[in-house]
Formats: sequence, structure tokens, C-alpha cells
Amino acid sequence: MGVALVGICFLFPSVLQAQTPDQAEFFEAKIRPVLASKCNACHTGLKSGGLQLDSRRNILKGGNDGPVIVLGKPDDSLLIAAISHTHERIKMPLNGPKLDDETIENFKKWIQNGAVWPESPEEFFDGQVRPVLAANCLPCHGATPMGGFRLDTRESLLKGGPLGAALVPGDADKSLLIQAVQQTHDKLKMPPGKKLSEAEIADLVAWVKNGAVWAGGALTASPDDYQITPEQKAFWSFQPIKKPTVPRIKNAARAKTPVDNFILAQLEAKGLKLAPAAGKRALIRRATYDLTGLPPTPQEVDAFLADRSPQAFAKVVDRLLASPHYGERWGRHWLDVARYADTAGDSADYPIPQAYLYRNYVIYSFNRDKPYDEFIREQIAGDLMPAKSEPEKWEHSVATGYLAIAKRFSVKPENYKYLTIDDTIDNLGKTFLGMSVACARCHNHKYDPIPSKDYYALYGILDSTRFPFAGSENINEQRDLVYRLPPEKVEAALKPFNDQLKPLDEQLKKLEEEKKVLDKAGNGAGADDTPHPVAAHGTRTVQDIDKDIREVKKQRQKVRADMPTLETAYAVAEETAHDSPVLLRGDPAKKGDVVPRHFLQILGGQALPTDCKASGRLQLAQWLADPKNPLTARVMVNRIWEYHFGKGIVATPSDFGKRGKAPSHPELLDYLASRFIESGWSIKAMHRLIMLSQTYQLSSNGPHEDAAMDPGNDLYWKFNRQRLDAESIRDAILKVSGDLDSTVGTGHPFPPPVAWNWTQHKPFAAVYETDRRSVYLMVQRSQRHPYLSVFDGADPNVSTPGRDSSITPLQALFAMNSEFIHDCSEHWAARLMDEAPDNARRLDMVFELAFARPPTALEKKKALAYLDQSRQKMGAADVGPDLLTQESWASFLRAVLATNEFMYID
Amino acid sequence: MGDHSNCGCTRRQSLRSILGASLVIPAILSDLMAADVSAPSDANPLAPKAPQFPARAKRVIFLHMSGGVSHVDTFDPKPKLFADNGKTIQGGKYLTQPKWKFQHYGKSGTEVSDLLPHMAECVDDMCVIRTMKNDHNDHFEATLGIHTGSVTFTRPSIGSWTSYGLGTFNQNLPSFLVLAPQLPYAGSQVWGSDFLPAIHQGTRIVPGPEPIPNLKPRTPSPEIQEMELGLIDFFNTEHLRGRDSDPALAARIKSFETAFHMQKEAPEAFDLSKETDATLKLYGLERGSTEGFAWQCLVARRLAERGVRFIELIDTGSNTNWDAHGDMQTCVPLAKNIDQPIAGLLKDLKSRGLLQDTLVVWTTEFGRTPFSAMQDAKGREHHARAYSSWLAGGGVKGGITYGQTDDYGIEVASNQMHIHDFHATILYLLGMDHTKLTFRHAGRDYRLTDVAGQVIKEIVA
Repeated sequence: MGVALVGICFLFPSVLQAQTPDQAEFFEAKIRPVLASKCNACHTGLKSGGLQLDSRRNILKGGNDGPVIVLGKPDDSLLIAAISHTHERIKMPLNGPKLDDETIENFKKWIQNGAVWPESPEEFFDGQVRPVLAANCLPCHGATPMGGFRLDTRESLLKGGPLGAALVPGDADKSLLIQAVQQTHDKLKMPPGKKLSEAEIADLVAWVKNGAVWAGGALTASPDDYQITPEQKAFWSFQPIKKPTVPRIKNAARAKTPVDNFILAQLEAKGLKLAPAAGKRALIRRATYDLTGLPPTPQEVDAFLADRSPQAFAKVVDRLLASPHYGERWGRHWLDVARYADTAGDSADYPIPQAYLYRNYVIYSFNRDKPYDEFIREQIAGDLMPAKSEPEKWEHSVATGYLAIAKRFSVKPENYKYLTIDDTIDNLGKTFLGMSVACARCHNHKYDPIPSKDYYALYGILDSTRFPFAGSENINEQRDLVYRLPPEKVEAALKPFNDQLKPLDEQLKKLEEEKKVLDKAGNGAGADDTPHPVAAHGTRTVQDIDKDIREVKKQRQKVRADMPTLETAYAVAEETAHDSPVLLRGDPAKKGDVVPRHFLQILGGQALPTDCKASGRLQLAQWLADPKNPLTARVMVNRIWEYHFGKGIVATPSDFGKRGKAPSHPELLDYLASRFIESGWSIKAMHRLIMLSQTYQLSSNGPHEDAAMDPGNDLYWKFNRQRLDAESIRDAILKVSGDLDSTVGTGHPFPPPVAWNWTQHKPFAAVYETDRRSVYLMVQRSQRHPYLSVFDGADPNVSTPGRDSSITPLQALFAMNSEFIHDCSEHWAARLMDEAPDNARRLDMVFELAFARPPTALEKKKALAYLDQSRQKMGAADVGPDLLTQESWASFLRAVLATNEFMYID
Repeated sequence: MGDHSNCGCTRRQSLRSILGASLVIPAILSDLMAADVSAPSDANPLAPKAPQFPARAKRVIFLHMSGGVSHVDTFDPKPKLFADNGKTIQGGKYLTQPKWKFQHYGKSGTEVSDLLPHMAECVDDMCVIRTMKNDHNDHFEATLGIHTGSVTFTRPSIGSWTSYGLGTFNQNLPSFLVLAPQLPYAGSQVWGSDFLPAIHQGTRIVPGPEPIPNLKPRTPSPEIQEMELGLIDFFNTEHLRGRDSDPALAARIKSFETAFHMQKEAPEAFDLSKETDATLKLYGLERGSTEGFAWQCLVARRLAERGVRFIELIDTGSNTNWDAHGDMQTCVPLAKNIDQPIAGLLKDLKSRGLLQDTLVVWTTEFGRTPFSAMQDAKGREHHARAYSSWLAGGGVKGGITYGQTDDYGIEVASNQMHIHDFHATILYLLGMDHTKLTFRHAGRDYRLTDVAGQVIKEIVA
């Protein structure tokens, strides 16, 4: 067979070359060696100048300067001009000596005679067949094969699918593969919706006829082959944001802002009526919870009722936006999306005492109405941005806590940076772009135009970034945090201690290595660090070494205990800048082609400047915050809308891709996005635009005819009733009962760092009580907060784009029997005793506080009767006589706090 | 509070009498109450749903042994490992013989070690799987793996998937209960619902005086609590009066009714005082004790009887568990803690006719190495490549074994049961196709079994 093949191999008709054995010999002897030694260093994989000189097809294709050879015409061929150094610009080989005259003559002769390039069957497969199959067939017939047929190996082609073998080597006509691509088969016409070029088909036919020789392993998708299709490019969310004209409507009187025109236009088109405007009490309660997460005070309600000016509600909105509690509410929304936690998430769930700085930065930024583009840039690359002052520089560093709080993985997070980066890319894609970029970690994105290469382009940026280390089972201390002091001052303050630590660290390293050698000789159980059995190694055993390690660690702790505590932030910094290879199937052990750092191709594919010596985070921040980026503004205004109305214009706020939901009001979305950018990315301006609309101010009860036509209220003919979220429930109860500590939260009372010794077996676990607002509760990754988990609080392991409003008996049990509710109702009752002299006035106060309205006559009657009756029952239950009134009130208040009216916003 | 079960009226009537003391029940509430076992609706995501195809098992009792139980010392007999004890294998490691002898049991003759003599008596009801494979060798990840199918990222637990797919029978108890004296590795992520609706997350019960949080009334007398519930109902009725019908408001009214019943029914489920001496003896439980795995097992049977869909028992937590690196003898008290109780549970379920539609799963995050770094090692390390679990009841063939490891129990030799296969098979027994039990999240349809898993039909009766 070998002999026969040699004969055949000269006959491959790659783009019709007539050739003789002489010519083939000439190529092998005179041309191929020169190409290999002088040209291919740059002109194969690297594609310098866009040119690959590794096959006849590629040479004919040429590079950035056009074709490099003209068959039969050496004098017109760029290749000859380049190697003869007669071309004014291109002189090849680059920076090397000119080829000798004889070689140049050989090239001329070769081109003159048609540039014959004999290929072995393997070369032919690699050059002509593999790329065609990989680009056109593999996307559907790869590892998750469509129609049960995969064609990534010769075996799978021979095996075929439900219709039988796809390949009959030697017989092109009988091969289903060929019938399908020639589209001569009844049913099979491949690839779907297009046809391969004649040349490509001819190559496939020739390949099958000549035995279908396969070279190399299975077909793999080369990232280079990735093509964004016109359909993908045309997807709605990738189109530039265009400010639409405000639609004209019939019922212009009901429109308060342009937002209403967009809403009314659709309602009128569908023949739906608008609900009436909400009452003033309902409205101020709605707006106050919405912007601050707290109920309005009776004074605030009275003031709004008394203000009959047309600007009355606008004034309320302005007052609420200026409240420091605004940031605590809207900052919490952001922390949901950014999956904020106070612990790292590794197997021992190490606490992060500095995490709160980022949390407070978010709250502060919302309160200050920091322009959203600046907010993005600071969180991605604050440390690389210019700052006007030291406090600003510090704030910028703290902001990168957004990246730093990414989840840590496993017992040895120090070894799993790639997973932390994946978590970062996942969150960054969803948070800022509404794109599930992380789907492209193991393969090109199945639905959205995000190739794996784009993922690893971002990966390179984050891999060039230093993430702080929170501590772990084996390393019980923080490392790589960012100091507030400049490096020279840090150095001066810590030097005496570092000088003591250095020899200890070296000793420790040596011991660890000694242990590793023993372990390797032993069974290498993996990462687990529980005491290993004694293993003999020379005269020392693992136990001996462990004893030494413990001793050295003890000495280290002594030194560390005396070290001054310098102010640090859990923030990122620059590391050596580098591009990352594609990790095949996401496996760090399987490195593919190196990908230059760049932005997502579908969003422009911007590259780093060629002289860039930095990670690229600064550029990434700019790409994300670019007003031309079609996603950033749309995603954010949609989130704002979602938090106001309970659902987004795009109902999947973190998925603006193909599998997400299409916008219910695309023009409104673009209108809001345009106004957002025009306003200088002011989030507070968006609140005003939305809240001052009629749409926001509608009653939550609407015309029944509408309910029949649009039961889901997709068209916004009324306001959606909403359950308070976990934080608002707790904060409102603390507030009305008078127990709320409304000061800004600080750090948590974690144990001092020298005492840290958490392991997977004894992980960090704590719940810290506080009367501050719920945004200041300590949230852990390995253990849900016992209160927040009952009321659908955010899971800090994953981004939460919207909260559930589940209704469970466990919530009812909380309202009936929890210590928290009982404490708050007791405290509230005690205060009521002091604040008002009789039950009737107490009742008014309770209703105004809890429901922002006075009681009805029926309620009054019922309540007073209840208080009397419960007073008696309290007496019967041995409650002391001096406490009877107060206890009967506590009982009444528990019922108030459990009502639907308290829990829901109309 | 009066004991309504003694007054000859049904539970529903008894609630009416409480609420009736204050005011009439709103129409919508009585509608909801009329439809106790209704079709799944927005108002009640936990209403029982029909399986995708006829189910073999209606409920699951999932027994998770924390720390990694050695397969070669329990359910995977390896005579050659005894014979070749101390011999070196590739990598210079020493084979280490099991610490307990094996014997044949039952009609099937399935071999079990002397560490678990009581469970051994039940082999004719068990399908012992000897070729389990998990994807990670560390506790945290492997524990997540056996519960969620994912060893890295947070995903919903198998109990949450089951609750999501099937709802539950008893609306007065959570659908997915986890009885765990301590937090396991990976903490509450083990029973988390992740992207599934939160109502499907596991409710953890800590053996002790208040197993479900906030179950005990704190009011000075039960009567006062009834009054409070009546008042809540009055306010809610008034509230509803001025508003369009809203399933969420109605569902929340209903949740107080459920909570009230749970308050009565859950302590009753946990109250073992009416169990006979014979039953207690079967489990090896001392009267009055609320501790140990025997208590957990007996409570599990009671919860199964009361229609809880998925009951998980974890024997220990992230420490003092089966993680016997230092000395395999530390497994003796752990085995004693679980052995008779689990055998008791199987026998009890069987005698009550419950075993046929209750799937009992016994598993752990990984096995332990049949070899050691040195000769005569007392302990064993983590071994996720091959280990043992078993299934019983609920449509599983009893008295069989599935899969074989090699002569020493190091690698799977035939019929591997990857955790995805294990999960796919459990869902199949519950009447669900693991490829069709999906939830759309972040643009993708997620499954318990990711993109893998095969139902192993050989073990289905």
C-alpha cells in the first residue's frame, strides 16, 4: 500500500495543478526546504502580514498585500520582488541576508511552471479537508451531535448516523457525506442553508476517492475558524442604541413624561385602558420603600398629603433620593448582582474583614449618584485611574473589591485561580453586559456569538491581575491585599518583622518540600491536610516534619502578633501582563493557542494598544463603559426599571442574549438608555424620569377588562403589587418598633487574624446580631444567613438578577413564633405605652406607622375589642397585672406585622 | 390549645373554628382549602405533580455518610487485598488489607463486612453498587458532587430537583427535609435550591428541642396565639376586600393555615412517645432520646408516612466523621451509630408496606484508598475513583450487586456508576427523565445531570 500511495499522492488536484514527477522532485529538493527554513518561522501559524506560506492554497490566497504569486509570471509575483529586494517596502527574509541568486532563480522557475506543490495525503487532509469539515460540519456534529451523527473522527464517519455510513473510502458517489455536500441527496442537504464552494466540494470528493486518509486526531474547533454570522450580528441587543422619537398618543392628557407615551402607545394599540392613579398614601408608601427600603414616617405622609402643588410628588422623590438610606437600598440591589459576600467561599470559607469597605463604597457611590460609567471604571480598574487626592485614590482601590470578591474554590484556593477568574468573567459578563460569557469557557458559546477565544482574551486580562488571598486551610493568613500607605512606608513599617519572617518562611518552604517528597513516595492522597500516617523517610517521619512545621508556624504567629496593623483593602493589583492560551475544554492542563487580550468581537473586538505593558483592565473598563457599547446602558436601565416595577422590560435582566427574553417595549428601552447616557449616566436622573411618569404612579388595582386581555400586566396598565424583600421586611419591622440603629455599618466582629485556623473540617461559621439595616448583616458563602434564606435573600455564591417572592409556611412561622418578631413587638408595645395615653390614640399611631393610613371604623372597633379580650387572656395566662395592657398590645402588634398589608406594596 | 384531633372534626374544620371565632373566612381562602390536592398552580408550587411516567418510588430517604466511607471495609469484598496485604503496587504504595472480615448474607449471598452486621441482614432488599465514581477527591467538592452533580459551581440539590419536579404530598410539612446534627462539608449549599425557586430548598432539622426553626409558640398561652391568627385573618380579609383578587395574597393567607398545622403536625412527627418498645428496639433507640442516627432514622420513617417527598439524613458533619486518615478503627463508633438504625429503618418500612414505594439511598462522597504510603498503615486516604453505595426499595432489584472493581478495589473494572448515572437512575425511579427535568437559568436549560448521565436499568425491578 505504501508504494501505491506514493504514486497517488502526487495526483492530488489541489486547485488543478498539472504536474510531473520532475516538478514534484524539484519542489521537494529546491523549494520546500527554503520555505521551511527561511519563511515558515513567521508565515505559518503566526500569519505575519496575514500570509501563510505553508500550502499551495495559502500561497495563492496571499496576505494583507494581496496575492504573492501569479502563476506563470514570476516577474509579476510579489514573492519574487520581496526575496529579490526589488520591492520598495517588503524585503524578505526580514532582517536576514538576501537569498542567494540561485535560490531566487529556482523560485522564479517554480512559479513559471505553475508552482507545483505535491502534497502527501496527510498534508492534503490537513490543508484542504480538515478545515472545511471543522468549519462547516463540526459545530453541529461534534461532541453533542445533531441527528445522532458525529464526524469528528474517521471512525465516526465510517460509523455514520441513522442513515448509515457517511463515508465509503474510495467511492465518493456512495458516500453520504459527498451526496450531502453536493446536495444531490433527497433529504440531506448540508450545510443547512448554504452550499460549500465548488473547490471545497472538489477537494472533499478527491479526498474520498483517494481513500479518505485521516491525519492527526479528532477534529477540534479552531478558534480561528469562528465566524459571527450576519444573523447573529443583526440580533436586537447588539444594534447601536438609537434614541427613538417619542410616539404620539391619543390620550395625551394621561402622559406625564415621555415614558408614558411609549407605554400608552402600546396600550392604545391593543385597546387597553389605564388604571386610575394611585392614592397619595399608597404612592408615598410605594416610593419610600422603593427608594429607601423603609416605610414613610407619619410626618412625611402628612406633609405629602398637605402639599397640593403639582410638584408635590417630585419633591418627595427628591427628598428620598437625597436620603442616606437610598444608597443602602439601591446599593443592595447592586450587591445582589455582584454576589457580594463577607467570606471567600473556599472549603474553609475564610472571612474577609475588609470586604465591607467595598460594600460601603457601593452604598456611598449610589448616594453620591456617581455616574454609572465612572462606577464601572472604578470597579474594574480603579487602581489604574488617576486620582486627585489620597482619599480618592484609596476609594478607587477599594472599588476594585468588585473583582476581588470573586469566589475562591477548594481546600487550596491558591491553586485554583482559573476557577476564580471564571467566576469573575461569569459575573462581569452578566452584570455589565447581560451576556453569559462564561459559557464560552469550554467551547464556543452555543447560542450567542462569543467564541472561546473571546473568553480567553478576557481571561488574559484577569490572569494579569493579582487577586488578593483571603487565607485557606493551609495558609491561615491574608496575602496580597492592597495597602493604603505608599509602598515605601509599608516597607519601612513592616521591614523589621519581614526580616524575622523571611528565614521562617524559608524554613517552612523547605519543610513543606521535604514533606512533599515523603508524600510523593507515599500515596499522595490529594489536597487533604488531615494528619497523615507516619511514613519512614531516612530518619525523619512525616510526623517529625509536621511537628517542625507546627513549631515554625508558632514562631511566625508570634512575630505576626506584634506586627502593626496597616490599613488594607481586599482589592486587586497589577501582575505581570501576559496573554493567555485557550484552555481546551476549560482544562488548565490542556493549553491551546495563545489569544491576544481583546474585547468581545461582537461588541467591537477592540485590542490593547501594541505597546501596552499593563494587564489591560483599564482598557476593559473603558470598553465596558463606552457609550457606544450597545449593551451596557441598556442592561443598566433595564435593571433600574426592574427594581421599580418588579420586572424588567427585558424579563431576563442578566441575559440579553438569544436565550433571554426579548424586550416588551424595545423603543422605551432605547429611549431610557439614550437618556441615561445623555444625563451623564446619572442613575438618580433615571429614577426621576421613571418615577415621575404616570406609569409608575398608577394604582395596583386596574380595569377588569385589562386583566382578561393581559393578565400578566406585560403592558403596564397598572402597577404590580410587590412583596417586600427580605431586607425591607426586617428593616421596616425594626424601624416601626423603634429598634432600628440607622447608623452606617462598619466591619464585622470576626476573630483576630492570629487566631485563624479554619479548615474544611472546621470551617468558619458565624452569625452576628445587629440592629443595623440588613444590608450590613454579615453574609457567608458556605452558610446562608438563617433569616435572609427564609425570605429569598440573595445567594452570595451566584449573581442574583432578581429576587423571588416565595410564600412559605416557614415565613409564617417566623411571623408567628420568632424571637425577633416577639422582641420587636414587645419593644414597640413598651414605647406605645409611653408615647400615647390611650388605646385609641395608640391605634392611630400604629396604623400610620405600619400602613401609612388611619384605621377604619370597623378596624378600630375590632382592634379595641381585641385589646380588651387579649388583656383578659393575658391575665388568665398569668401575665403580671402591670404588664397586661402592654402585653395585649404586643400581641396586637404581632398580628399587624404579619399582615399582607404590611408585607406588600400597592 | 385544645387537641383538635380528639374533637372528632377534621383539621380543616378545626382551622375554620379558630378563624371563625374572629370572622368569616374569605371566599378565596375557602376555595383554596377546598382544593387540598390541586393541580400545580402559581399559588402553590408544592402541590403534588404527576411524574413524567409511572413512578416506582414516591419518596426518597437519602442517607449521606459524611467523610468518605471505605468501600473495601464495608460493601466491596476483596479477597486478594487480604492475600496481598503489604505488597507494593505501582507508585511504590503498599496494599492494605481490610480491617474487617467479610461474610455472605441472605438468600442472595451478598458479602458485607463485619463492620455492619445489622445492615448485612438486609442485603436481600439492597442493590449494592460497587462502582460509584465521583469527580473530586476533596470533601467539599465531592460532597457537592453527590448532592448536586457539580463539584465546582453551586447548583440545586437532588432534593430540590425532586421537590421542583414532583411537589409534595403533605402541604403542612416542607417538601425537602434534611436531618443533620452538624453542618456538612460545603455547608447549606448541600441542600440549597440555587436557581430553582427558593421554596424547593431543603429545610434543615437539627435534632433537639426545636427541630424546625420557630415551630414553638411563644405567646403566653395557646389561646392568645389563636387570637392573633384570627386577627391576622381579619386584617387580611379587610385588605383583600378593597383589592382585585391576587393569588399571592391568597397564598399568603393560606400559608398561615399551613404554618398553624405545621406547628401541630411537625412536633407530632418528631414525637416518638407513641412508638412501641418493639419499634424502638428495632432501631436501637432508647426511649426519650432525641439524639443519634437511630432518632434520625425513626423520624425519617414518620416523615415518609406523613408524605414528605425527600428526606435526607446526614450522620455527622465536617469533622469527627468517616474521614479515617489516621486509623480505620475510628469508624467503629460511626458504624455503630448507623448500622442498627438503618437496618431497623429498612425492616420497619418493609413491615409497614412502605419500602415498595420508598427509595432508600445510602451513599457517601467517596471511598478510601485500598493502599497506603507505608506498610501496615492504620488509616486510608480519599478515593473517588471507585467506591460503594446502595439503593433499596422503591422499584430497585433487591439482593443484587452492580458493577465490579478490580482485584484490589482501586479502579472500576466493569459497569461504572458515575454520580450522574446514580442521579439519573434515582430520578428515573421517581418517574422523571433526567434529560427532561430542566430549569431555564441564565439562558440555558440546566439539569441535575449536566449533559451526562445514563439510567442504569439493570438495577430496576
